[in-house]
This record gives sequence, structure tokens and C-alpha cells, in this order.
Amino acid sequence: MAVEFDGGVVIGADSRTTTGAYIANRVTDKLTRITDHIYCCRSGSAADTQAIADIVAYQLSFYEMELEEPPSVKTAASVFREFCYSYRDSLTAGIICAGWDKRDGGQVYCIPLGGMLVRQPFTIGGSGSTYVYGFVDANYKPDFDKEACVNFVSNTLALAMSRDGSSGGVIRLGIITKDGIERRVIKGKEVPRFFEG
Amino acid sequence: MSILTYNGGVVIAMKGKECVAIAADRRLGVQGQLICTNFNRIFEMGPNLYLGLPGLATDTATVAQRLKFRLNLYELRENRRIRPKTFSAVVSNLLYERRFGPYFVEPVIAGLDPKTNEPYICNMDLIGCPNEPEDFVVCGTCVEQAYGMCESLWEPNLEPDDLFETISQALVNAFDRDALSGWGGIVYIIEKDKVTVKELKTRMD
Repeated sequence: MAVEFDGGVVIGADSRTTTGAYIANRVTDKLTRITDHIYCCRSGSAADTQAIADIVAYQLSFYEMELEEPPSVKTAASVFREFCYSYRDSLTAGIICAGWDKRDGGQVYCIPLGGMLVRQPFTIGGSGSTYVYGFVDANYKPDFDKEACVNFVSNTLALAMSRDGSSGGVIRLGIITKDGIERRVIKGKEVPRFFEG
Repeated sequence: MSILTYNGGVVIAMKGKECVAIAADRRLGVQGQLICTNFNRIFEMGPNLYLGLPGLATDTATVAQRLKFRLNLYELRENRRIRPKTFSAVVSNLLYERRFGPYFVEPVIAGLDPKTNEPYICNMDLIGCPNEPEDFVVCGTCVEQAYGMCESLWEPNLEPDDLFETISQALVNAFDRDALSGWGGIVYIIEKDKVTVKELKTRMD
């Protein structure tokens, strides 16, 4: 998921990759760098999303060289969208593109399965997201500051990881501001716990 | 998706020195979604005889109830406690009666012989083929992981306390690599004069 705040964005993801029911990787990093100030959260087929992210990062580094200024988040999200829409029949990729740029500050763009592009103040994705739509709708406030966003993301992810079999592991967070990314990991006892029956 | 993996779950049993242990996870799910974290898949069938039933949860409940019925009749007729080896045969028979429309459970039996107190473990496939090894048995959605853990951790003649540690570690590290099992664990250590039940605090994802 990703959430905008004044000054940047907070992105977060779980760390589980499954092949069927087997947990192939329990410490995956699903927060992928596109540029220093733009990251994406990947869900769906790991192969598809890794390939897309690599291609988009490559195209944007070219863009940066030609235009001699860092690309905007909107541009990065558009490149993602171009790809995901053009090859929509062959791909299974749900991507959240989020970051900070000078023009519009923190932005979150959601590119779900068919390849649409929409900017939202916050968005959730992945198999575990279905369990937390109610929670995020009830608990989001537009005036969250950085730490409030971090708590909101952590709690949401913890709830989804608890209910969804395909989600789990550690909570990986990224706080992107004008100074770049600050990465955090929440693991073990620090992961928020709720009603467990 | 296979019917045997619809609800998820895993059961392990191990032999020790004059004791046996049987352990299971506590998850009940519907494919990926968790439903509850206190599902019981181990049933007491006698003071020193326990039965684990991983597989489809509705059949877990049904087979446990039907088996208890047969067991009660046995004890009334014979006027004695059933021996674990005989109980295995009863379970096997119940499952094979449904050879062409089976119950989707793969039983794990652990107990001590009422007379000799000899440890006994057994597991079966869903149509009742018994397997009675000397070390450990596993059934459920993470058998490959559980076999790996048991094979490396088990050694013969473990005392009850050591057996508890061994079976707990084998169970937890096996189901932590399975998306369909976990969310808590429960371990029964069966000795000749007492049965200890311990709940495991595990990661709940």
C-alpha cells in the first residue's frame, strides 16, 4: 500500500512470496526502486512485475539523462501504465507507483490489473488487501503526518498479514521525501497484533 | 486446488523414550483466507490414545465422531481399553469402507499400549493404508517441509521434555514455510501416567 502526506509518501508491503502454498521467500523486498525518489509496490506475478519494473527504471534513467532533470512521479506512473495496458492480456501485474517530486510533492498512483492509472491519496493492493478495505476506509484521515502514516500503514499490513495466507513475514516500509528514501523493517514482536481468536 | 488443501493444517507425531508426542497447527482457513485460530484437529480416543485428522475440516469432525462411536461400541463389547494397533485397524477399515467416495482426511495416530506402555505411532492415506514407522509420522499441507524438519531433528529415545522441544521446533519451522498452516500450535505429550498439553506461541501470519 502507499499513502500520501504533506512532504512525501509512505509505502509499505509484506515480505512473502509463495509458489502455490509453499513460501518460497519469507523476506522478499516488494518495494522496488525506480529512481531515488520514486518507488513501486509490486503485486501479482513476481516475474511479470520484476520485468516491468526493470524496464521502467531503465526507460526513466534514459529520460533523466536526456531531460537533465529527475522524472516526475506522474511520468513514471504513465510509463508503467503504457506497459501494463499494452500487454494487459499477457501480464498479471498490480502496481502502486509512489514517490516525491518537486512539482507536486508526494503522490500515489495506482495501476491495477487491466492497466488503468489513477492518482489516489492512498491505495492498497495485493491478495491481502481485500481483508482491509473496511479498515483503511474507516481509519484514514487526510491530515496524517509522517508518523501517523507509518502507523496507519503498519496496522493495515499487520491485519492483512494475519488474515491472508499469501501475505506474511515482515513489514517493509519506505518513507520517501525530498531527501530520498528512509527504509524501515518491522519484524517479530514489533508487528502490531490484534484479535486472534 | 486439491480438496485436501482446502482448509489447510498439519499434524506430526513422534516416538520418544516410553512416551509419544502428537502436535498440530490451529488454523482453519478457506483457501487463502483465515477463519479461526483455535481449530482442534487432535482428538482424545482413550486415556493414552490420540488421533490427529488433518485434511478437509468437515471430514475431520465427521470421522472423529464416527470413530468415537465405533470405539465406544468396542469398549462396551470387549470391556477393556483398545490397543493403539487395533485402533489403527478400526480407522483403516472405516476409511476403506469409503474406498470410491473417501473421507478427505489423512489420520495420524499416537498412543501407548495400555498393557505394555510401548509407544505407537501410525499414519494413513485417505483410503486407510497404514504406515507404522519407528520414528515419526506427518500428514497435512506441509508434509515436505515437515519431513525435512523431522528427519533432521529427530533422534531415538528422547525424554518427554526433549521430545516436546523437538516436535515443537519441527512443527513450527515446517508450517512457517506453508501459507495454509500455522497460526498457533498445540502439542500433546503422552506418558504412561499423564498427558501434558501445551499451546505454542507462534507467528500469526
